Amino acid sequence: MLQIESLSCFRQDRHLFKDLNAKVLPGQALQIVGENGSGKTTLFKILAGLFEEYEGRVITSDAAQVLYLGHRYGVNDQLTPIENLKFLLQLNENQLAPDALEAALVRFQLRAELDEPCASLSEGQKKRVALARLILTSARIWLLDEAFSALDAPGRAVLSEVCQAHMACGGILIFSSHQAIPEFASAAQLRLEAGS
Amino acid sequence: MMLLRRELKIMLRSPAGAIQSLMFAVMVIALFPLAITPDPSQLEPLGVGLIWVVTLLACLLAADKSLLSDYADGSLEQMVLSDYPLWWVCLVKSIAHWVSCGLPLLLMAPLLAAMLAMPSERVVWLMASLILGSPILSLFCTLGAMLTVGLNQSSALLPILIAPFLVPTLILGTQWATTGGEAFYGYMLAALLCLSLVTLPFAMAVVAKIAVSR
Repeated sequence: MLQIESLSCFRQDRHLFKDLNAKVLPGQALQIVGENGSGKTTLFKILAGLFEEYEGRVITSDAAQVLYLGHRYGVNDQLTPIENLKFLLQLNENQLAPDALEAALVRFQLRAELDEPCASLSEGQKKRVALARLILTSARIWLLDEAFSALDAPGRAVLSEVCQAHMACGGILIFSSHQAIPEFASAAQLRLEAGS
Repeated sequence: MMLLRRELKIMLRSPAGAIQSLMFAVMVIALFPLAITPDPSQLEPLGVGLIWVVTLLACLLAADKSLLSDYADGSLEQMVLSDYPLWWVCLVKSIAHWVSCGLPLLLMAPLLAAMLAMPSERVVWLMASLILGSPILSLFCTLGAMLTVGLNQSSALLPILIAPFLVPTLILGTQWATTGGEAFYGYMLAALLCLSLVTLPFAMAVVAKIAVSR
């Protein structure tokens, strides 16, 4: 369960958003909607615990681990997709099956590139490396800031499959997207208005 | 350990940064006798100070390289959110900085000393002072890099901000080596190392949280 109670945030003397309220139960999704600069990324950072200058409360049910994927998703150019994925997973998980890493990357259609440094990958492919983490993580709350952008249609399809499987297991999904995602058209929406 | 392994792996695959600061140090020491005088009696008293200054500047030069890329690609955010204590993440960053910059210079120091006609017993004290001093430099340089990462013109701000904090180390290190190992300076340098080792990782952790929230 994740609950937002009268959340307000000022940034650089500007009201980013004011008095947000939302409640997401296990198995539900919440879409954050708003124009560019309306504070979506800041809201994600607050939910992830990276940004602490806000008023109001963010309540998560205890021991619900959070996974945050932002615009910059932590894929290093010098490491190979496997090494990157392993590192990102090891930040929060203890045990990993070695062939699971490869399977996760293959699911995101990275097969030929497994042993090349990520510098030679395209932006969309790097994003897939970061997204492959979703398949293996044990985190219950996913915060995906613009995760659907920079992906082609097959990539988006895999990502929504993975997200739906996560929700089917009682996970919480919070995402933002400027494109319409048909699979999540029924998700609750939280609209950020440009503040005063 | 896995954090440290990653740092070293990245460093070995893009060694340009480490080589650049090492080359800088070697070039300065190699050019100095050509520009000033090749006379050993005049070079000898300058040797310790020169090598220390060059070490300090090379450390500053390499300070923000790995942190900038971690910040730009978002790894830093993920490390802050990880289960590892943040002070440990920051300490690993400092260790990686030392391995990429302090350690090569330390190994190179006898050669640099030979270029400046340094007597061998002083080389021993120079090495000793660098062994104690260069980790302090690395800790402060990483702190400075953490403070300025994500700011505009961070590489210009970093040396101004952090150089004053490196001066005590420089003074103690050079004094210890030039006096041939006078105990007072050695103890002070060791104390400074212990103090920065136990305090700076925690300072860095606080700063890192601020850096990722920008």
